[in-house]
Amino acid sequence: MKFYASILFGLFFLTTQAQEKYTLSGYGKDITSGESLWGINIIVGPNQGTITNDYGFYSITLEKGTYTVEFSFIGFKTIIKEIVIDGDMKLNFEMEEDAAALDEVVVTSSKASRNIKSTEMSVATIKATTMKKLPTGLGEVDLVKSIQLLPGVSSVSEGSSGFNVRGGSADQNLVLLDEATIYNASHLLGFFSVFNADAVKDVKLHKGAIPATFGGRLSSVLDIKQREGNTKEFNGELGLGLISSRALVQGPINKDDNGEGKGSYLLAGRRSYIDLFAPLIDDFKDTKLFFYDVNLKVNYNLNDKNRLFLSGYFGRDRFAIDNVFGNTYGNGSATLRWTSELSDKLFFQASAIYSDYEYEVDVLTSGSEFRWKSNIVNYNFKPRFSWFISSGNTLRTGADFTYYNFNPGEISALNNSSTTPQDFQDKYALEIAPYIDFEHKLSDKLSLQYGVRWSNFQRIGKETVSQYANGSPLTYNPTLDLFEENEVVGTTSFDSGDAIKTFNNIEPRASARYLWNKTTSIKASYNRNYQYLHLISNSTSATPLDIWTPSGSYLKPQYSDQFAIGYFKTLKNNTYDFSIEAYYKDLRDVTDFVDGADLLFQENIETQVVQGKGRAYGIEFQLNKNSGKLTGWLSYTLAKSERQVLGINNNEYYPSNNDQTHELSIVGLYKLNDRWDFGANFVYGSGKPVTYPTGKFEQNGLVVADYEGRNGNRLPAFHRLDLSATLNPKEGGNGTWIFSIGNVYNRQNAATIFFRERVDEINNVNIPTGQTEASKFSFLGIVPSITYQFKF
Amino acid sequence: MKTIITTIKRVIRISIIVLFFSCETDVSDDINLATFPAKLVINGGIERNTVSPLTAQQLRLTTTNNFLSNEPNPIVADADVSVTDGTNIWSYDHQGDGFYTNTALVPELGKTYTITILWNGETYQGSDTLNEVAGFDNFFAEFEEETIFSPGGYFLKFDSTDPVNIENYYYNRLFKNGEFVISPDPGNAQNLITSDEFFDGQQRVNVDVNGEISFEIGETATGQQLGISKEYFDYLFELFTQTGNTGISFGGNPPPATIRSNVINTTTPSNRAVGFFYAADVIENSIIITQ
Repeated sequence: MKFYASILFGLFFLTTQAQEKYTLSGYGKDITSGESLWGINIIVGPNQGTITNDYGFYSITLEKGTYTVEFSFIGFKTIIKEIVIDGDMKLNFEMEEDAAALDEVVVTSSKASRNIKSTEMSVATIKATTMKKLPTGLGEVDLVKSIQLLPGVSSVSEGSSGFNVRGGSADQNLVLLDEATIYNASHLLGFFSVFNADAVKDVKLHKGAIPATFGGRLSSVLDIKQREGNTKEFNGELGLGLISSRALVQGPINKDDNGEGKGSYLLAGRRSYIDLFAPLIDDFKDTKLFFYDVNLKVNYNLNDKNRLFLSGYFGRDRFAIDNVFGNTYGNGSATLRWTSELSDKLFFQASAIYSDYEYEVDVLTSGSEFRWKSNIVNYNFKPRFSWFISSGNTLRTGADFTYYNFNPGEISALNNSSTTPQDFQDKYALEIAPYIDFEHKLSDKLSLQYGVRWSNFQRIGKETVSQYANGSPLTYNPTLDLFEENEVVGTTSFDSGDAIKTFNNIEPRASARYLWNKTTSIKASYNRNYQYLHLISNSTSATPLDIWTPSGSYLKPQYSDQFAIGYFKTLKNNTYDFSIEAYYKDLRDVTDFVDGADLLFQENIETQVVQGKGRAYGIEFQLNKNSGKLTGWLSYTLAKSERQVLGINNNEYYPSNNDQTHELSIVGLYKLNDRWDFGANFVYGSGKPVTYPTGKFEQNGLVVADYEGRNGNRLPAFHRLDLSATLNPKEGGNGTWIFSIGNVYNRQNAATIFFRERVDEINNVNIPTGQTEASKFSFLGIVPSITYQFKF
Repeated sequence: MKTIITTIKRVIRISIIVLFFSCETDVSDDINLATFPAKLVINGGIERNTVSPLTAQQLRLTTTNNFLSNEPNPIVADADVSVTDGTNIWSYDHQGDGFYTNTALVPELGKTYTITILWNGETYQGSDTLNEVAGFDNFFAEFEEETIFSPGGYFLKFDSTDPVNIENYYYNRLFKNGEFVISPDPGNAQNLITSDEFFDGQQRVNVDVNGEISFEIGETATGQQLGISKEYFDYLFELFTQTGNTGISFGGNPPPATIRSNVINTTTPSNRAVGFFYAADVIENSIIITQ
């Protein structure tokens, strides 16, 4: 209570101390497309300033007087205006792209100077335009793979679009596309991510210091915003690549006399056609393997102060072999958002969101054809108020309401087969999370951002919950050092809507920035996060068959405490910037599998999972070169991530699957002239932990491996170099060629090393030989690709 | 239900290989596995075969050795081995090459057999219960065309009726011209062992003894169905999952871990044994493949 009281007192103080203050507010837009621009720096006088929010809105309260206002945004021409404040004032502005400045790298950890001033830390942003200039491994611009080049972010495995942040697992990332949760961000077995770079406007990754406005995952928030569409004119883009092609159209809705739409729309689609080559290979003539996705965004200005947005995503992967097998999976989401400028200081937004992830597996073995289907649906409602109290002081408050429906699986017969239909129980949950977040400028040097999130997660019926002997599904036997399953001794039935289990948790978040001088700042942060959903996957890669399970009677929520400090510096008038961050993360009740876990088609997942603790710590360095012919960055991470779980590894700490000691990325972009751009990136990472056998023995005619402990070995180090060249169109032209070579020196990086018995093929039968071998599996050798883009 | 996982794993594997230019390299020479203290290995159990009764009960004891060593596992010749059903005790004699036998033990249904091994000054003990197996209603071979997953040829099949209201676990073994054959296939965990959870009391028809292994005309095909305990079923499930590992985690491979034996070192529990001492009821039949 005291905490809230002091906030309220603080606000009162802040709002009443002024003598004669007025508010300057408005919107910032791109002059060509009319889209609102987020993150524009607005600097007023010597030491006041703010930035535009997600919808281009800004508000700053100033004392009466005359000011110089500077609007600046990377890649755009800076606008400088003299203004006289003697009353509340509305000032909208349009920014023009600066052709000369376009070469600037935009994948910095936020723009250099803002990085110094903001209280934000552990944040990385990427613009879609920059993503498109980076060399690509498979010839396809990929948002997640671009993020993996930043410090503290590593890849689940080569070519994979799963990512690990600061030693966390892939399921600890909250992935939001226009506020809708995306549960599986991968296409084509994980080689591509589901985000179409053409439809994406901004990407922001919070690796730590997560503001109270976000919650639900331990390691990171990947916040992706879709483009809104051109409000001034209709146009389109086409991209033709070897693996997929894409198209985009956008244009204004209801143009007014000035030629500007009251709204706009954008529609983008992609489809891969790797499977079109399949018929060329005899074994694959019956194989289907493709993905497609569609992004839609519509926005409309109801009046000067109220706007409506509708955005949607729908994507599917299809993988099938005629008469044998079929698999379809994908996400779908829809967001309807209303933003309203209630006053020049108070901004309101509310979103209603639907999100669905589902997969289907058809088994078409003659006589027993069946379909396995599983999905997760959630409905969110997210209202939020932003109150721009005064320069440097902003209060955000709101709540996230979520209703979850998990369908772990149902089996239905196909083609009138004799398969008995079966349905695992659905699981339901309700989450309510009110929050308050306050940016508080204490002095010109010291700014704070602090807040709290209260998460209330409730498992509700209808469900029948098993009761186990000893009150728990598993009991640890210390003599044998293993978990033993307990018998189900009864069940408890809950009616629809009945509370089964409720969790209430307080999540404090705080960060501070001390501005040492104009080019240097020091920051520190503390964060507590709770995660109520667990991804129960018995592999380290993202698979389409992932099963998300909510916390409940037997599965506790995971939580983490993260501390981070950072040093931020700009050099040579923002040409370079440099940062060092160190973090320590303490994780509790993280899930791992009992030895020999059997997870697929397992209704009582609690009998296969144990919970333990983890710790992760590391140092991240990043040096950016922001301007000149050659731009780019260098990042290095030194980190450790470990777990300790009863019954695993003799109860001692062991490296987590995501532990990567060294990680180095070097990215260079070179502009030769108006027509040619070149890009290169080099990545080095030490090997991820694996468990190698400690012995072998024979059983039932087969050679079997024996193991001690977990993750006691390392794969060989990983490194690769990718190159690209872009041929831009001549003056007046509109076609662009992009050539790229992934993994230039054809390094066969180990995806896995596995141990097995050698077999001899005798009469088409694999007969074991008793001899053993270690085999390395690597995914991608050298991959050349070419893409053609066309604007109309 | 679980056959689908097998299919998925294989489909994904071949697709990745072809579509993503991936490759597999033998790196046995580049990897040095640390050497760990050898563990006792139990390979065998009690079998009640009513069709061709066994002249002796037999099991083999060895120790583990380095996974990449191509030397055979060292045998254990100096152990004291005995089995009891709670009333009688049968002691086993070493016949050479790690094989221990007893000719007096006649297995009986419903009995729980406990093995005691004294070796290196430590005592190991484990038990398993002998459960009756259902017989074959039909036993035949059928020709199948080659598919993308399996070779063509004659496959040995049977029909069998599961007893009602009894929890049953089955394990199929296949012999070619009298020799036991098995392949380290990802499908074994789903195809060679079965629980009656989804077909209690019903007849199963056209069950493959081992759908990976085909016969040619003139060969002698022998198929066995074993009635096993839940504990042995769980053990075999892990064993077949591990030996069928394709190295690709997309289809889901559990983290590698030792497969827990039912034979416990009672002197020093942390000094584990590996392998399983089982008790099984066996039904079998043989045919010579003709056109």
